[in-house]
Parts: sequence; structure tokens; C-alpha cells
Amino acid sequence: MSFPIAAVTYFEPWWIQIIKALIIFLIIFGVLPMLTVYERKLLGRFQHRYGPNRVGPFGLLQPMAEIVKFALKEPFRPTTSMGFLFRAAPALSILTAVGGLALIPWGPVTNIFGTNVGLYGIDVSVGPLYVFALGGISFYGILLGGWASGSKYSFLGGMRAAAQLISYEVSQGLALVGVLITAQTLSLVGIVNAQRGMWYFIPQVVGFLIFMVASFAETNRAPFDLVEADAELVGGYFTEYGGTGFVAYLFAEYVNMIVVSGIATTIFLGGWLLPFGIHPPTWVDPFVVLAKMMIFMTLFIWIRATLPRLRYDQLMSFGWKILLPLATLNLLVTAIIVVH
Amino acid sequence: MSEVLFFIAAIAAIVGAVGVVAMRNPFYAVLALVCHLVSLAALFLLLRAEFVAAAQVVVYAGAVMVLYVFVVAYVGGAEEIRSGNAMRVLGPLFAVAVAIELCIALLGSALSGINSQGAAYKPGFGEPARIGKLFLTDYLFAFEVASLLLLVAAIGAIVLARRRRGLEDDDGSIARVIGERRPSYTGTMAEGAGTRQVYQEIEAGHGGSFEIGSAEPKERAAAVVASEDGEDGA
Repeated sequence: MSFPIAAVTYFEPWWIQIIKALIIFLIIFGVLPMLTVYERKLLGRFQHRYGPNRVGPFGLLQPMAEIVKFALKEPFRPTTSMGFLFRAAPALSILTAVGGLALIPWGPVTNIFGTNVGLYGIDVSVGPLYVFALGGISFYGILLGGWASGSKYSFLGGMRAAAQLISYEVSQGLALVGVLITAQTLSLVGIVNAQRGMWYFIPQVVGFLIFMVASFAETNRAPFDLVEADAELVGGYFTEYGGTGFVAYLFAEYVNMIVVSGIATTIFLGGWLLPFGIHPPTWVDPFVVLAKMMIFMTLFIWIRATLPRLRYDQLMSFGWKILLPLATLNLLVTAIIVVH
Repeated sequence: MSEVLFFIAAIAAIVGAVGVVAMRNPFYAVLALVCHLVSLAALFLLLRAEFVAAAQVVVYAGAVMVLYVFVVAYVGGAEEIRSGNAMRVLGPLFAVAVAIELCIALLGSALSGINSQGAAYKPGFGEPARIGKLFLTDYLFAFEVASLLLLVAAIGAIVLARRRRGLEDDDGSIARVIGERRPSYTGTMAEGAGTRQVYQEIEAGHGGSFEIGSAEPKERAAAVVASEDGEDGA
């Protein structure tokens, strides 16, 4: 007896989807440690020092040493913490962060060994809403971590995360709507295809800037890293985490950065498209996307090295009084132009 | 595959719903409600209502429940809720009423849907484009009424949360510069690096007639301060 429920699988066979999921995850999992080295090296250069340069050639093996160090640390937790939630919260953070990777399109549907494979995890019809849904849940990873730690610094960090994520998610979403009504589709692959003439970075420059600022706040990166402000809150929501729990949060933060970079690349920088009518073979497309994402990652690091942390009231009034009206105005103007 | 997912989501939804009622700790009750809402979203997804599923998570789990968690974490904490007497009587009454209503609705349909395959899937069903079109054509009135309701709610929230009296007028006390002159030789940078202030004051004739370096710093400072005081008094 079959249930009156529509099939979950779309046009690709299930085994292709599993292979795609594994490949995407493994590539990102391999890129991540390099990213941490890249960030520390760049930060070092920004601050007139070398950064890590002892482990392996040019310090490239530093993350391996770090991972071994973190994995071998004693797992401890405060006596005031809630056991299950304390352990589950970092896992939730990782889950939601990795889920966002599925959405980044690395290339169009391609024929590989006689099978049609879309070079993306999934191409959902709700597009960016999927990311916002995951973002909505990822908040619980941070808040539960802060709450279950049973320490006041963690708690304050978690509460800050709650307020900050809600405030900036609105602007982030509204900034994208301008692109969505221009492209007239929510599918990210469709949005890339709609940018064949011109990348949305140019006509939607206001939306792009709002999106980037809001993304810095959503990923808790400097100058919006009040959630983990080490001068005030020791370490924010992960104050009480050591060893693997800490690595989990670190991992989630970097994956979130990658996802946001991927979404920005897809929506504003034309995804796998190259300018000036250059059409490379399809196998180059994922590398184009990766290169564009690296631009954003560098921007993340650059800003972190350059700007000081905001004050909390500045953060809130900036989000609600400047960013949100600006995003609404951008949406309004875009809608008027599109209708005309 | 879809059957497995259905049962996982359905069981999680029921467990979450029971948890909301059964949990004494309000924080855990809110978390159970989040679990319930996310499971409902999974069920919507199985029905191919992608937009509804995403909206369910974004709006309920991502925004509404965040506020619940926020308030409970700040105010409720680990304290347990004891309901009042009126609630103890009314609660079961309402529960029984809803249960009877559900039974009537279920039995009234004679459960005829169980043996059927359900409506056929049409391409584009559940996508945002289709839903948007329906909102602006067939269901325009309901859509507009709902937007009006949201607008009223938003304005009401602003009115309720506004400052009752507004900010007090600034009488200048906050940003007033405290007009206190610092005596020499009490540790300013200029004194540490050179002796700018003392030299200037000596050159201007305030410092009296002593030679530089002839007196101990404390005595010199005392002399400068004394001369300033005398000048202020004059």
C-alpha cells in the first residue's frame, strides 16, 4: 500500500544525490582547514607579523595540529550546565550550517558519463527561503549552547545572538527580494541564468551592500561579533566549551561564512558565469564559483582585521533604523522599475 | 522513503505537542513547541508544499519562537508554572470541546480519504509563484484583510512599546566639561615627557623667581599652584 504522499526525490536518481552530497561536503570539509590558515596568515599580515609558519611548509599543516590538539582535550562541562542540551547545541549548529551548503549552485546541469547531473546539491523552488529557514534554526544552536552552559557570560552571548539574528535577518531577506523580483524566480540556478546579460551586483548595488552588511551580522563576524565579544563576555556563547564542542562552533561559523559567500556569489556575482562573454568548458564552473567565494572570504577577513567592534546599541539602531528602511526603499524602487 | 520520513516527522510532531503540555519547565516546553513546528514543516514538505514548509520554519520556528525563547530565558528560567484556579477548570473544558469537534470532523468525512491516492500532483504546485498568483487573484480579499491585520498588529506593537513620556530634556549635565584645572606635577603626559607646562608658566611669570632644577619638584609644583590660586583670586 502506498501512501498518498508525493515522492520526495526529484528528477535525479537517489544515488546521484547521495554522491553529490558526499562530494560537496568532503570538498568543503577539505577547504575549511585551509581557510583557517588563510585567515590567520592574512590577519598576521594585516598586523605586521607572520602568522602561523612553524608546522609544515609555510605553516600549512597548522590546522592538522590544532585538530589533534582539540580532539585530545578532556571533554568537560560546568556543573551548572544541562547535560543533553549542552552536547546537542553544537551539533545543531553544525547541522544547520552544513545544510546550507546544498543550495550553492556550482554549475548548470551537465552530462557526466551519460547521466544528467546538476552541479548543485538541490535546486529548490523556494531558493533563498531555504537558507533563511536554516538560519532560523541555526539560531537555536547558539542560543541553546549559551543557555545550557549555565554561565552568565554564555547566557548573555546567547541572548545577544537572539536579538542580533532576528534584527538582521529581516534586512538580509529584504535585500534579496530586489533581485528576486528582477529575476522573477526564486530558484538559485534560475537566478544565475538570469544574470547572463549583467550581474545583479551592478543594478542591485544597494541590495548587495545591505546583504553583505547583514551577512556580517548573521555570521557573527567582526565588526558585529558582539555575540562572542571577548572583551566583555570572555567568549560569548561558547565560553564554557572546550575541545570538540568549541571546534564544532568554530566549524559552524566557517561553514556559515562559506554559505553566505556562496549565496552572495550566486545572487550578485553571477554564480559560475564569467564576464566579457568568456565561456569556459563546464568543468571550470565550480572553480569559478570557488574563486568568487574566495573574494568574499577575503573580504570577511579583511573587515575583521580593519574595523573595531560596534557597541551593542549602535548595532541595534543601525539594523533597525538604517539598514531596514534602506532595504525597504531598495525593494520599493526596484519594484517600480520592474513594473514599468 | 517518504513513508519513513512521514512517520519520523509525525511522531516527532506528536511528541513535541505532548511535550509542550507536559513539560513543567517553560524553557523545555518552548523547545518542544519548536520541535513540533519543525516536524510540521517536514510534513508540509512531504506534501510538496515547499513554500508553506519554508514559511513555517522561517516565521514560526525562526521568528515567533525566538521571541518565546527570549522571553522565557530572561523571565521564566527554571521556575515552574502553576496555573490559576480558573485555568484548571477552563483548560480541560476547552480540551474536551476541541476533541469532540475533531471527532465530529473526522467521522463526518467517513474517513473516505484513507483508501484513495489523494489529489494528483500538478507541476508547479506549492511553489511560491503559484501561491503568489492565487493570493493576488482568487484570494485577494483574504490576503488584503490578513495584511491589514498584520499592519494593525505592527502599529499596535509600536504604540505599546513606545516611551511613555519621551526622553527628559538634556539640561547639559551629561556632557558638561568639568572645569577643573589640574595642578602641575600631578602626572600629565607633558610633564612626563618634558616640562612644558611648568616652563611655560615660569616664562609667563607665574612661577615665581626660582631657577629650573633648583627646587624639588613638589615644592615647585606647590609654588605654581599657589601662584595660580593667587591669580584666580585677584
